[in-house]
Amino acid sequence: MATKEEVLQYIKTLGEQKIVTKDELDLAFDSGSGIKTDVVLTKKLGISEILYYIGGAIVFLGIAILLAQNWSTLGFGTKVLATLGAGVAAYFVGVLFSRDERTETAGSAFYLISALVIPMGLYVIFDNAGFDASSYGSQSLISGILFGMYMLSYVVFRKNVFTLFSILFGTWLFFSLTSFMVGGGPYFDDWKFYEYRVLVAGITYMLIGYAFSKNERASLSNFLYGFGILGFLGSALALGGWEPNQNVFWELIYPGLIFGALFLSVHIKSKSFLT
Amino acid sequence: MEIIKKNITLVLGISIPILMILFVAGSIYLPGLFIKPHFNFLYASGDDSYYYYNNGYQYSVQNDKLIKNELKQPENPNYTPPRVEPKLYLYDVVKNESKEIAFADAQNLNLDSNTKSPDDFEVVYGSRGDGFFPFFWGGGTDYNARYLKGHNVSKKLNLQLNGGSYYNNFRFIGWIK
Repeated sequence: MATKEEVLQYIKTLGEQKIVTKDELDLAFDSGSGIKTDVVLTKKLGISEILYYIGGAIVFLGIAILLAQNWSTLGFGTKVLATLGAGVAAYFVGVLFSRDERTETAGSAFYLISALVIPMGLYVIFDNAGFDASSYGSQSLISGILFGMYMLSYVVFRKNVFTLFSILFGTWLFFSLTSFMVGGGPYFDDWKFYEYRVLVAGITYMLIGYAFSKNERASLSNFLYGFGILGFLGSALALGGWEPNQNVFWELIYPGLIFGALFLSVHIKSKSFLT
Repeated sequence: MEIIKKNITLVLGISIPILMILFVAGSIYLPGLFIKPHFNFLYASGDDSYYYYNNGYQYSVQNDKLIKNELKQPENPNYTPPRVEPKLYLYDVVKNESKEIAFADAQNLNLDSNTKSPDDFEVVYGSRGDGFFPFFWGGGTDYNARYLKGHNVSKKLNLQLNGGSYYNNFRFIGWIK
């Protein structure tokens, strides 16, 4: 058995000869030390996978319509069971299905159901507790709970689908929390504030997309680039304003931003920037 | 430190919205700690002659003093608005509360009827936001909430009103000099 010093010396030699890279060593170290690596979900979507997700969306619509049509006749218990109960059940079915590679995609469809239905369940609970569930304060709490739940799920299960839900619920939290802080106060112009927030969300999406492009979450990059650039350029255009209330700064800078986006699409080799 | 260096774009991406939240919080709460309004004001409630039959008078300021103006309301047997006695209130900007004041006492006050106070504050309506993610719209004016605004500070007013809190049921009369 070689000593630690011998092993390190050997690695140094291999490194100098460029036989092994730092990433390969990291991977070997992680697999040996028991650190979980992210589960790669980069399989191409086939017709059966698409049908899984459509099925998940139909289940959500069914529950939403059932609830909307019978809101006044259904009791609190039934409402919670139909929404939060169904959402939590779907989440655990997703966990079970994800353990087997053959049923993994069906598991993701169940995760989708849970992500769509659990917010409704929380809405029902907040509404019954006497809160105005559509207020920004309640929305901040609901989105905060969901963001925390899916971040924790990501840490435990290391699945891309949880990264996506964390980003979506994180964005909801960002918008509702900032709206809650401003409340009805005349601090900012409403539309300008909305545009600046979309601008910030767009930049964030692009940066996260770039960070993901180099690791196991690369499948999310194009989605993040696409929505990021849409939000960024869309809000920059809106901030320029329209006659007679143009903003000279944003109007002048906008062509530069367009060329910047074109340049970036070449630099990071992504067509999503051009959509 | 090594992890942050390795994931600098991710850290930057997550930091930007957090910084914006901190910036919004700072720009809302910080100025209020240092800049405070100093001038109390007088307002009337329930003297909206379009909505109330208010015994035919309305208040205004003339030569820095409060006066009562006679109003001639057209006689119309088909239109019988609710009969309400207009009330005057004095708003204390330090305590953030209003208390009713009699017309005779209010007449002794020295009033400035400009919309802006000598320290550059004014009474404005709040704004109303609406919607669920991703559709948060600025929904226009909130006629139920009024704010004291100036120098990037907004303070919600805790107004007493004579009747419901609708558009014309608050009428600013003047700043107390």
